[in-house]
Amino acid sequence: MRSPSLTRALPLLELGGLLLVALLCLLFHLRQPSRMPAEADYRALVEQLRAEGRPGDAVLLFPWWTERARLFVPPELPVYGYLGSDHDDLSAHPRVWVLGQPELPRSDEAAFLKDFLPERRALGETRHAGTLTLALYENGRYRPRRFVATESVDRARVYLEEPGGARQACRFDGKAHRCPGPPHLYVAPEWHEIFYEPRRCLWMHAPGGAQRLVTELDGVPGGVDLRLEGGIIFEFAHMKEARLTTAYLGVDDAATGDNLLEVAIAPGREGVQSAQVRLPEGPPRTVKVWVRSENPDRRQVCLDVLALEPAVGTRR
Amino acid sequence: MTGRAPTRDERWTALGLWLLAFLALWLTESAVGFTRDESVYFAAAEGYAGWFRQLFHAPARALTDAAIVRGWDYNHEHPALMKTLFGLSHLLFHDTLGWMRSATAFRLPAFALAALVPALSFLFGSALYGRTAGLFAALAFMLVPRQYFNSELACFDVPVAAFWLLVVYCFWRALEDVKWGLWCGVAFGLALATKHNALFLPFVLTPFALWRAWTASEASAEARAWLLRFVGLFAAVAVFYGLLVLSLGGADGFQRGFLLLSPHTLLFVGLAAGGTWLLKGAEQVSAPVTRALVPIAAMAVLGPVLFYLHWPYLWHHPVDRTAWYLAFHAKHNHYAWFYLGTLLREPPFPLTYVLVKTALTVPTSLFAPMVTGILALGARVALSQFERTRGWVTRPVTLAEALVGVNAVTSILIISHPQVPHFGGVKHWFPSMVFLGLLAGEAVVRGCAALWERLETRWTALPWPAVAAPVFAVLLAPALVYSAHVFPYGTAAYSELAGGAAGAATLGMQRQFWSSHVTGVLPWINEHAKPGARLFLHEVHGGSFRDYQRNGMLREDLRAVGSPAEADIVAYQYHQEFREHEFLTWQAFGTRTPTMGLYLDETPQVVVYVRPEAR
Repeated sequence: MRSPSLTRALPLLELGGLLLVALLCLLFHLRQPSRMPAEADYRALVEQLRAEGRPGDAVLLFPWWTERARLFVPPELPVYGYLGSDHDDLSAHPRVWVLGQPELPRSDEAAFLKDFLPERRALGETRHAGTLTLALYENGRYRPRRFVATESVDRARVYLEEPGGARQACRFDGKAHRCPGPPHLYVAPEWHEIFYEPRRCLWMHAPGGAQRLVTELDGVPGGVDLRLEGGIIFEFAHMKEARLTTAYLGVDDAATGDNLLEVAIAPGREGVQSAQVRLPEGPPRTVKVWVRSENPDRRQVCLDVLALEPAVGTRR
Repeated sequence: MTGRAPTRDERWTALGLWLLAFLALWLTESAVGFTRDESVYFAAAEGYAGWFRQLFHAPARALTDAAIVRGWDYNHEHPALMKTLFGLSHLLFHDTLGWMRSATAFRLPAFALAALVPALSFLFGSALYGRTAGLFAALAFMLVPRQYFNSELACFDVPVAAFWLLVVYCFWRALEDVKWGLWCGVAFGLALATKHNALFLPFVLTPFALWRAWTASEASAEARAWLLRFVGLFAAVAVFYGLLVLSLGGADGFQRGFLLLSPHTLLFVGLAAGGTWLLKGAEQVSAPVTRALVPIAAMAVLGPVLFYLHWPYLWHHPVDRTAWYLAFHAKHNHYAWFYLGTLLREPPFPLTYVLVKTALTVPTSLFAPMVTGILALGARVALSQFERTRGWVTRPVTLAEALVGVNAVTSILIISHPQVPHFGGVKHWFPSMVFLGLLAGEAVVRGCAALWERLETRWTALPWPAVAAPVFAVLLAPALVYSAHVFPYGTAAYSELAGGAAGAATLGMQRQFWSSHVTGVLPWINEHAKPGARLFLHEVHGGSFRDYQRNGMLREDLRAVGSPAEADIVAYQYHQEFREHEFLTWQAFGTRTPTMGLYLDETPQVVVYVRPEAR
């Protein structure tokens, strides 16, 4: 037999536990307002950003979803905050401002810094305004850009290319290079989502069959890393039906016809895919950036081609 | 304990709880936006009400299949009971009497049904565990923010939870009073006419009925014989239906051959007539056995009959259209759903999803007694199985308690199946939540009783409320505070365990869904949009756009457009699967800076962009 005292004690213990949980819940709700920033806190830190921010700086949000900050940050400073942005190299930016809210429930600053800090160095003290923090970092993962396809596309030659080499030119209308055929066949820099990440990239929808959509770009320097980054946008990436086909993205040397880079994106493959090659020293070259997929359905490709110097590292 | 009737006081308290819930829902509903489904149901309800007008003016024409299809074809993926009530309420209170705004008139029947949950919870809980437990269960249901939010909507999830509870309550009462068996059948018919969840009810209740009949017939061979005949009849009919399916070449052939005069109908009539005859026979030898079996027969017969009668859409083509309806839900598509940092798009879904989602959304001070309540019941069942531990159980588990326990887990288990669609937050297992509330009430009362007993040794005249009231206050206060804080943004409500909305965002949980939170930005849009501005309300159903204008919540001159590219103003609803829409807005407007937004505990819910030249 169980002892009578235990029989009596169990419900009391249970009630005590329930009341303790409820009191902790009440405490949670009472503390909530003091864990949230006020508008004035945002404005105070943004004043500092305005005063000390430099062209090329970026703002990274912690936690990643605290996008209310976008309302306040000056438009000229790009704000990064997306699922996975803690791991982003932010390689276009020599300095990164981390706008943090470590007081928010479940904010794990240590985990964030574990991902963020490698190859980065704090510059000065962390500033506080209410529950907001603002800290400036030197970004050792910064890779100076010598060439960016999305910035050069206005001067590009765009065409549809048959396997035999026959071409159909795509006319530039001041905003986009529009190709013969369906309206989605054009090339232009646009904002799109690749696996939750906002990317300014070249819209290059695969034309279908063996045909390639080609963007020919001049002025790619030698002696740098040539990097191709791209993916299938939005919800089209995750689909895996058998009728869908792999999208191929590539970069060829226009003069020699050599394939410099190629990425294959099978149906169901999400996220940014990349390939990189070291270009030999030499005069600027012309490259052909291309995309193709046997079945163009759900193969909405967005990509960029970059000529990058090595990461600068941090100065100790 | 089986089937105790409520006392007079309990009836009055239940009525009071019903009124309190009904009035609270009515008084607060205007703040709640229109969910995507709701505007579809508004439109359907209006169409159905139009058919009733035609029935009144030209009955012969209204009863033709063409007229029925015209009136009832829209949204025939759900049965029509609630939509009919919404439509008739709208016809009476808005169109005819002009007493209230359009949306309130549609929603009024939903409030009446939702208010039934606390009232019935009190009656059932009082009978099983005492009035304090019943009261706790009643209040707890309405203090779960997502349950309160869903109670405001002209939808079916809370009504079907109410009907589920009503069916179980009637079943339980039927064990002592045979006329409740018939009411059980009626309630089951109404539940079927509300939502397809009800299809599972017979599978839950039949084992209890048979168990009760079996134990009640132990001492009487004659009663046992009538019970076996009754079971034999149902089994035989099931076998014959199976044979019909096989002989007619499968489900399609079975469906084609199902006519008014066909073996299919004959079997059903045989079941009804045979069942009635057998129950009459059983009545002569054992009242308890009869009382246990009447609800089963009533559900089997009245359920399909009421389902057919309530829905004019079925009147001319009952079989084909019912088959379509069932097939639609058997093959329901899957919507993207963000869960613990992963976008769930297709099965298999995580087995623990329902448990985790419940833990992260039900206020923790209410969730904890639910957990201890079901664990205590499970422990008593387990300990009763072994001779060594049987003595530890001071109160053996009764049939009624088992009934509550099984109903508390049934919907949760069904939705937990990895192949079942997992969208829609927590609403698909509301029927379980009602019974978990009862178990929570029992857990709280168990503690109160122990405390009272202990205190009474010192203060002999200590009244019961002196213990129960402060305990209620402490347990319910956090839920009340959070309900008030998050209202009317119910689909963004996350518990203390999750860390509220902010903690849930870090955990990677669905931020919100169903689009109703757009009400948080409509006043700003009304104030700042230029005359005739083109508005892209992302995720907001076209019908909802119309309903916001119709109910005076959105300026009449604003025009709905279908994409950011066409818009002057975009209100983007933050969904992980729809990030592309926000970035398309950046592209269309040439800015990444929003103008304003609805942020709940810092979590972006609805983000508003204004085209720079339109400012």
